[in-house]
Amino acid sequence: MSGGVDSSVAAALLAEKGDEVVGVTMKLLARGETGFGCCGSAADIDDAKRVCERLGISHYVSDMADVFESKVIRPYVESYLGGTTPNPCVECNRSLKFGHLLALAEAWGCETVATGHYARVEKGRLLKALDPAKDQSYFLYSLNARALSKAEFPVGALSKEAVRDKARRLGLRTADKVESMETCFVPGRDVRRFIEKSAGAGARGLAPGPIRDRTGIELGRHTGLASYTVGQRSGLGLSGGEPRFVVSLDPDENAVIVGGSEDVWSSSIIVGALTWTGPAGAARAEVRIRHRHEPAAAALEKLHDETVTVVFDEPQRAPAPGQAAVFYSWEVVLGGGTILRGENL
Amino acid sequence: MTVYLDHNATTPVRPEVFDAVLPWLREGFGNPNSVYASGQRARAAVERAREQVAALLGAGDASEIVFTSCGSESDVLAVSGAAWQSHDESNGRRRAIVTSAIEHEAVRLLCGQLRRRGLAVVEAPCDPEGATRVDACSALLNDEVALVSVMHANNETGVLQPVAEIAAAARGAGALVHTDAVQSLGKIPIDAKALGVDLISLSGHKVNAPKGVGALWIRRGVRLAPLITGHQEKNRRGGTENVAAIVGFGLACELARKELETAAAHALALRRRIEGGVLLIPGSRLNGHPERRLPNTAHFSFDGLDGHNLVVALDLEGLCVSSGPACSSGASSPSHVLTAMGVAPALASGSLRVSVGWGNTDADVDRLLGVLAGAVEKLRVAAVGS
Repeated sequence: MSGGVDSSVAAALLAEKGDEVVGVTMKLLARGETGFGCCGSAADIDDAKRVCERLGISHYVSDMADVFESKVIRPYVESYLGGTTPNPCVECNRSLKFGHLLALAEAWGCETVATGHYARVEKGRLLKALDPAKDQSYFLYSLNARALSKAEFPVGALSKEAVRDKARRLGLRTADKVESMETCFVPGRDVRRFIEKSAGAGARGLAPGPIRDRTGIELGRHTGLASYTVGQRSGLGLSGGEPRFVVSLDPDENAVIVGGSEDVWSSSIIVGALTWTGPAGAARAEVRIRHRHEPAAAALEKLHDETVTVVFDEPQRAPAPGQAAVFYSWEVVLGGGTILRGENL
Repeated sequence: MTVYLDHNATTPVRPEVFDAVLPWLREGFGNPNSVYASGQRARAAVERAREQVAALLGAGDASEIVFTSCGSESDVLAVSGAAWQSHDESNGRRRAIVTSAIEHEAVRLLCGQLRRRGLAVVEAPCDPEGATRVDACSALLNDEVALVSVMHANNETGVLQPVAEIAAAARGAGALVHTDAVQSLGKIPIDAKALGVDLISLSGHKVNAPKGVGALWIRRGVRLAPLITGHQEKNRRGGTENVAAIVGFGLACELARKELETAAAHALALRRRIEGGVLLIPGSRLNGHPERRLPNTAHFSFDGLDGHNLVVALDLEGLCVSSGPACSSGASSPSHVLTAMGVAPALASGSLRVSVGWGNTDADVDRLLGVLAGAVEKLRVAAVGS
């Protein structure tokens, strides 16, 4: 329970159903650090506690700051330093909520772990939420069959408005709480500053270097690869001419490669570190390459056991290395992996 | 049925105490400082309680007892009050506090605050068995020390502290001596005079009285700068007396005094059974001196798990125990007490405190021993598996 409305209502729905429910808030940041909600700040823990009091269920705080640091924060920083765009929520769901917390819950004698995610599980398969605007299945693709057999997403069949209504009717103090949309452990949404603080200002990925066009001509200087994401337009500091977009980041040359709007489209991507929610392998799927991206039809061509080439029927804009590519068959999540690189047109 | 084995956190209010408290919340609501009869009755009740509390310390003079709102307030009144009084009376020469490395947060955090406000605070280390070292403490004494504050028994490990020896050395250096005896009261005999200290902190809810009342024993002649100004408690602690809770505290002390020997023997028997059973679990150890402890307190460490998670597991089985002081539940940083004893952080975070008390039975111990080994094993599997 993050102290937000979704997990509050998830707990309420289970308690209402007659399940024996205990609330747990993961404390993810070490003492003295402040994030942006949802990471077990004192105020969020207090909200979760108050909700549980209201529901008449027990509430516990579990300090997982060490695991969070090693499994989520450090890889997040490393990813940026290496010129890729990380997706920490995927790893948090896999390693923390449905890894560490699930193991703990089982030791406590709990049968399932429920969260406030907008997704559904049916017959052991992970499905999109009923409300497409809120669907969070993208962040859950890496749960394996065992984790899915223990997972419950009670709000996955509801709209956000229905969740807030339910919270209001139950008198939960989190009913109208503002949603956290950013990476929860990065204070003030300032990624650059967070990376600097974590890695030191002299780290690779923070060093200035050239901005080049696709033919290698230097057009300007960048402030460090960690500040750029594929597809980004603003913040390049280039003047005049056509609008320029980040096409790719080259960590070997410490260069940002830019091009015109047409240059950020990819016909295929290489996806590694594959996981499957059910049987491995599928010849075709709809592939989502970022949160809220409309899944695009594609063929999956196996390269190795854990790597595929995803060939889109229609080119897709700005697949960013480091982000997840999630494979769907209509509403079913088949699996997914991490985008290693896009093949530009 | 819930089994309560966390009597160092708080204790149930005994039925006799409950019954004694109620009239003072009903018809006996008078202010003990009022002139009329109902005020005088309330005042008499407070004074009787004062005698009952004093008697448990073997103190003949009940006026040496000042009632406060809790043990923490007693600590702050004693430490802050004595330190500043001594500082001022010596024209600023006595500006140091000597304390132990294992004090309760009430003293510990206050000392940090006093340090920031310009007083010097030095900590005497403890030995690996959790007792403050008398030699180290003595070595810190000089004519700049205003106050020595060392607890009577540690709240986490239950280890008894050499307060009498430290007090003798401290008085030789002209310093005042305070001891926080919140955790010892009613569990072992406390003889205020024999201890040779000036100030003793006490709390009601640790001896089966309600929360919201504490006391400070102030040796006759010792002056303190008051924390709450007002004419009550002979100008030593302002604020209208919490009559009902004070009455309960008094009766609880009287019961504790009468039952001290039998209660201690009962607690010790239960504790020995608990220790015998728990230490059969592989990778377990007892923290603190094997004998020189409160009869009711056992403190263990387990390899390969987080004590907080163990407390949750046991709560879900209907057992109330703790992994550290109740005041810091939820934080997994190792306790300063175990750190001071030199317990490795990994082992310190896997700790469990069991403290028995009034109402506990052999069946309670059976319940604990029946589920503990399994819970420990499951948590170790979870810690390795994830």
